[in-house]
Amino acid sequence: MKAIAKCKNFFKTLSEKLKALPKKLSARFAGAKEILSQGNGKVTASMAVMGLGQLLYRQWAKGAMFLFVQIAFVTYFILTGATDLFGFFTLGTREGNAWYGVEGDNSVVMLIMGILAIFMIVLYIAIYIANVKDAYRIQCAVDTLKEPAAFREEAGALLDKSFHKTALALPVIGVCVFSILPIVFMILIAFTNYGDTIVPPALVSWVGLENFRKILTLGQFAPTFFKIFGWNMLWAVMSTALNYLAGLGLALLLNKACVKGKAIWRAFPILAYAIPGFITLLGFKFMFSYGGPINYYIQQGGGEAVGFLGLDAKWSARFIGLGVNAWISIPSTMLLATGILSNVNTDLYEAARVDGASAWKQFIKITLPYVLFATTPVLITQFIGNFNNFGIFYFLRDGLNIDGYFLASDTDLLINWLYRMSIDNNYYSIGAAISLVIFIITSVISLAVYVLSPSYKQEETFR
Amino acid sequence: MANLSLKHIYKVYPNGAKAVNDFNMQIADKEFIVFVGPSGCGKSTTLRMIAGLEEITAGELMIGDTVVNGMEPKDRDIAMVFQNYALYPHMTIFENIAFGLRMRKIPDVKRDKEGNPVLDKDGREIPVMRRYNKQELTAKVNEAAEILGITEYLKRKPKEMSGGQRQRVALGRAIVRHPKVMLLDEPLSNLDAKLRTQMRSEIVKLHKKLQTTFIYVTHDQVEAMTMGTRIVVMKDGFVKQIDTPKNLYRYPANKFVAGFIGTPQMNFFQGTLKKEGDEVVIAFKWSDAKITVPYSMLMKTTPQYLDGTKTVYIGFRAEDVSLDEEQVKASKAKIKVRISHSEELGTETLVYGDINMNGDGFEETNTRVIIKSAGFKEYQPDAVYEAALNLEAIHLFDLDTEESIMPRIPEYNYLDCTVREGNLTFLGNTVSLPDAVACGDGKGELLIPVSAVGFGGAVKANVIGCEEINGRFLVSLDVNGGRLYALSDEVREKGETTIGLDFKKLIVKVGGTEVSPMPLVNALSGTFVAEKRKIDGAKETHYYFSINGTKVEVPAEVYRKMFAATSGRKVYNSVYRYEWDPYGLAVAESGIEAEAVETLDYGEEKFLKCKAGEETLYVKCERPMSGKVYLAPDAGKVSVVESERQIRIV
Amino acid sequence: MNQAKMKVAKAKTQKVLNILITYCILVVVAFVFFFPCMWLVLASFSKSGSIYSFDGFFPAEYGFDAFRTLFTDTVMYDYPKWFLNTLFIASMSCIIGTVLTILTAYCMSRFRFKSRKAMMKTTLVLGMFPSFMGTIAVYLMMTQFNLINQHWGLILIYSAQAPMGYMVQKGFFDTIPYSIDEAARIDGASNFTVFVKFILPLSKPILVYTALTAFTWPWSDFILPKMLLIDKNLYTVAVGLMSLGETEFARFAAGSIFIAIPIIVLYFCLVKYMINGMAAGAVKE
Repeated sequence: MKAIAKCKNFFKTLSEKLKALPKKLSARFAGAKEILSQGNGKVTASMAVMGLGQLLYRQWAKGAMFLFVQIAFVTYFILTGATDLFGFFTLGTREGNAWYGVEGDNSVVMLIMGILAIFMIVLYIAIYIANVKDAYRIQCAVDTLKEPAAFREEAGALLDKSFHKTALALPVIGVCVFSILPIVFMILIAFTNYGDTIVPPALVSWVGLENFRKILTLGQFAPTFFKIFGWNMLWAVMSTALNYLAGLGLALLLNKACVKGKAIWRAFPILAYAIPGFITLLGFKFMFSYGGPINYYIQQGGGEAVGFLGLDAKWSARFIGLGVNAWISIPSTMLLATGILSNVNTDLYEAARVDGASAWKQFIKITLPYVLFATTPVLITQFIGNFNNFGIFYFLRDGLNIDGYFLASDTDLLINWLYRMSIDNNYYSIGAAISLVIFIITSVISLAVYVLSPSYKQEETFR
Repeated sequence: MANLSLKHIYKVYPNGAKAVNDFNMQIADKEFIVFVGPSGCGKSTTLRMIAGLEEITAGELMIGDTVVNGMEPKDRDIAMVFQNYALYPHMTIFENIAFGLRMRKIPDVKRDKEGNPVLDKDGREIPVMRRYNKQELTAKVNEAAEILGITEYLKRKPKEMSGGQRQRVALGRAIVRHPKVMLLDEPLSNLDAKLRTQMRSEIVKLHKKLQTTFIYVTHDQVEAMTMGTRIVVMKDGFVKQIDTPKNLYRYPANKFVAGFIGTPQMNFFQGTLKKEGDEVVIAFKWSDAKITVPYSMLMKTTPQYLDGTKTVYIGFRAEDVSLDEEQVKASKAKIKVRISHSEELGTETLVYGDINMNGDGFEETNTRVIIKSAGFKEYQPDAVYEAALNLEAIHLFDLDTEESIMPRIPEYNYLDCTVREGNLTFLGNTVSLPDAVACGDGKGELLIPVSAVGFGGAVKANVIGCEEINGRFLVSLDVNGGRLYALSDEVREKGETTIGLDFKKLIVKVGGTEVSPMPLVNALSGTFVAEKRKIDGAKETHYYFSINGTKVEVPAEVYRKMFAATSGRKVYNSVYRYEWDPYGLAVAESGIEAEAVETLDYGEEKFLKCKAGEETLYVKCERPMSGKVYLAPDAGKVSVVESERQIRIV
Repeated sequence: MNQAKMKVAKAKTQKVLNILITYCILVVVAFVFFFPCMWLVLASFSKSGSIYSFDGFFPAEYGFDAFRTLFTDTVMYDYPKWFLNTLFIASMSCIIGTVLTILTAYCMSRFRFKSRKAMMKTTLVLGMFPSFMGTIAVYLMMTQFNLINQHWGLILIYSAQAPMGYMVQKGFFDTIPYSIDEAARIDGASNFTVFVKFILPLSKPILVYTALTAFTWPWSDFILPKMLLIDKNLYTVAVGLMSLGETEFARFAAGSIFIAIPIIVLYFCLVKYMINGMAAGAVKE
């Protein structure tokens, strides 16, 4: 019931925010209106040619810089930008043909360059707006007899008042190019027919929601998708619960007063934590392989070698995956829980002991609520991490194709399928569509957990 | 080493919340000012605005002779001590104190390696800015450390020191630069009670030694009372009272200050006042207690409270209520108190009781009474005692506004009067009324504002007292046996004098009619515009108030203030209320168009009542006029209020 | 009297039993975590190398052959080269990535600029996308920029993506009182000075944590190197070891030990910082 109320509350605030949106927007554009209605000739000059207003106000260095940006952008746009932008919509018109020596358009490159062109245009617009605002600011200063900031001062402010601009420039560019641009690219790919036989030099074209329809309905993809999705959910829930509880239990165990030499006991899990994941995974793969030590002992005992990770080892492979994942993840949960447990107010325990609460009661009533509260965000990230746990089955059982699955095995998670489809088998657009589906699932789950978590209410309180 | 001036300082947050409202104060050099008030009252915000850590929304802040609005904290030559000390944890104490000096450059002349000044080709010294060198730095840090007694800790890190020592380091860091102003933001609230008392006196000592202006923020009224030369009491962003500790204690201007200053808190009762002849009967609510007070003690009280119907707050401090038998016996003002319990504090006992026989004496109500009694004396719980009230120390406040109804400077003198054929008789004197104060014959009331009583005139009076209040003098006059208060800018010796009345400020209520005073504020709304003109080829910009389509040229000092108070081009986009007193507008050939309604003749002076649009204006004039007139405002005497945010900017 | 004694005795046995069970579990846990590591170490000392010549977990014959071939037989598998490659990539990414992450976190914690909230929300949403969703695009871009088969391409990607995880660091900076910044500003320091002279020295634990995470990610990542590095000489250890088959098991084990040891040593030295950093991030996130 509480959960429903919370959800209702969430949607209520959401609708309130939506209602306030028009007001907010008009407030946003109030500045633009003011500039348009009050800007003088020099501001208009800056609107026409970047930096001109600044030059007219005798701000040489700044004016020259803005002018340079304009010239650079115009040059870029004429030379490649315009064609790139055009290419973004057409995705190429001329098919290449090696036979006739025709060099065709590469749709995918055109797409990516098109996105880049859009990024450049957005950046240019941002600088353009800054330019107009700056001209207006100078006008304001001049009109109210204030000294407009000298170029030297403004440059100096980059290490002081506007240090964040200097400091954030590189990270923002980096994230835009290497995180946002690729994601935008993949989102767009999900709406094209790129992949399978249609790879450059063949021309790619926009197909709308076709890929999503294929995943959900087409005999080739749909059964695989639903089977994998079911297992994926089961896996995420089971592994998160297992790792969380076991990690917490281990932390509590090591936290016990009677345990001597805590540092040494703790060292073993940390050892497991420190070893790079791929080594662990490959090691375990060897351990469970046909010729591996486990099978050696089985054969010694007279049994027959078992394909733990083989073609028809559905559940054994799944359980091994669960175990190996636990081996890798429990230590980090343990460390986290140890850190959090050291923050629990010990007075609470003393009070509980005076009240005659048993150890179990203390755990249920004090420790668990506190740790749960503190780790809700981590629990979400862990859940998402497990949902998208690529490494485990990639290393343990890579490359198996199982009947009833299209390019996947019965242990593969959506993310493995995505990898196999797009990187190993060129089903790029389908892969991108799967990515989007994964994104929607994970974001809905995390949003729901987040809204229901006790940390949600406190988020609004600001510093 | 500087005085401060805060004029119409506002802090308004983007969401419209006003943290500080119209803060006005002049702080003289070497003063120790304390801002005190409950949390959220705006005291810290004000301090942080002075420091430059918080932007000033509107108003003018001057340190010394410089307007520092918008100036960076480092350029204001101030130092600040924070509540949590804000020591740099990774630096030694020496480095903590020296850091501010290291960041600064001092003027010097160019020198060669031996330290001799290098001269330029004209034989003059070359001024340069340089950093402090090591010797200077060490000397300065040692000097500061010595003052605060932390010399031996200079090599330590802050975490190796106790709270009191850390606070000393924080002080050292502040004083080492010899700032113009020292700002202290609740510096003692993280210390335990004993240390706090000790540090309190040390800070006072430091202030004496440094001879610098101190501004100190605290929520603790004891700190405020013991340290400040003047105290600013704030609540909800408003200044409630600015005065010396003694005056705050003795003459609280409102119930909030009365309750906030002094421990235990002042006792507040509710009751009514009824004037009966020369006495005033005070009847307490929820009790059958009644005391009589001679009217002479309540002379300053506004008469409308004395009719026995209006409930007011009656305040007595704990030390002004006594259970001492002899005092009770001698006293005329007695009240029955039912004792509930007492707290023994060693030198004195606080006795809790209730004047309501059903009250419990624990809960803070309008009948609970706390009595300070010397020594140890047992009082029987639930017994009823008589307590004597010290009427000299009575405080009265309005029930709703909570403002004092017997202010130190009363607003009006309330007198009986008679008017006959244009002659006003009051206190045995008769003066002729000017035409403007036209009222029918009859008996009635006369309200003379204290500021309307001028010295030198036709009426004979006797000065019987003169007390200084915030730089002005309240003169008590005896006029034919009646009491009159007047305000003067200079000391008036006791003895005979003559007085006159400023008729335009009087209120006369006779025969059912009421003559109200002439309003002293003419408000007009308008905008602010700039115009460029070419004179002899040179471009000049002129600035105008645009009022009802008329432009009034604005002098430089006014528009500069307006520019300083607004950001961007807001000054051109806002609607303002321009205010002038009747002398600030003059009838002229051109100007704001208005319709003359009436000429008010006050004898020596004549005023024109006219209408400009919706607004009614009163303007000084030489002769009666009618019809259309033009009013030329004196833009130098204007006061400007920005309409949107209700902020006074000039 | 007797009953009280019995109660005390019972409590005592319970306590002993409790301790006994605790230690039993601990021993089991220690074994579970330690044994696979042990096994790898033992395997690296196997003489023959192939997994098929093992007696279960234990090599049939012991020797240093695996280590010798690891460093000398560089024709097919040039391990020393891979190791240096990995070290180079990880160190450079660690330095650049740490600087960018710390700067981002500092700005997000200390400045209130217009687009701050929007940026924070964007990073949150970006984090929801599957990690290598954009890999193909990155690959295509790298071919466009001619950074395929080059270490700097990898370093660029690792460093540029590092600031996305600034939340833990921001949480740490939020705990440094603002009044220190303000005091320094009054003392005449610019924001840059505040950052360099105050925030950085006070953030050693989080710096270490950031550097460590920024180092281990490229150190043990295999997806990006596998995709972007074609030339075997440019391989990182992760990609290289993956190309080893079951017959080269001892060599794999020996190589693993070399790549794991630096990280293990770092972790053990810095475990305290790790715990603090993780806990801070957890509560603040």
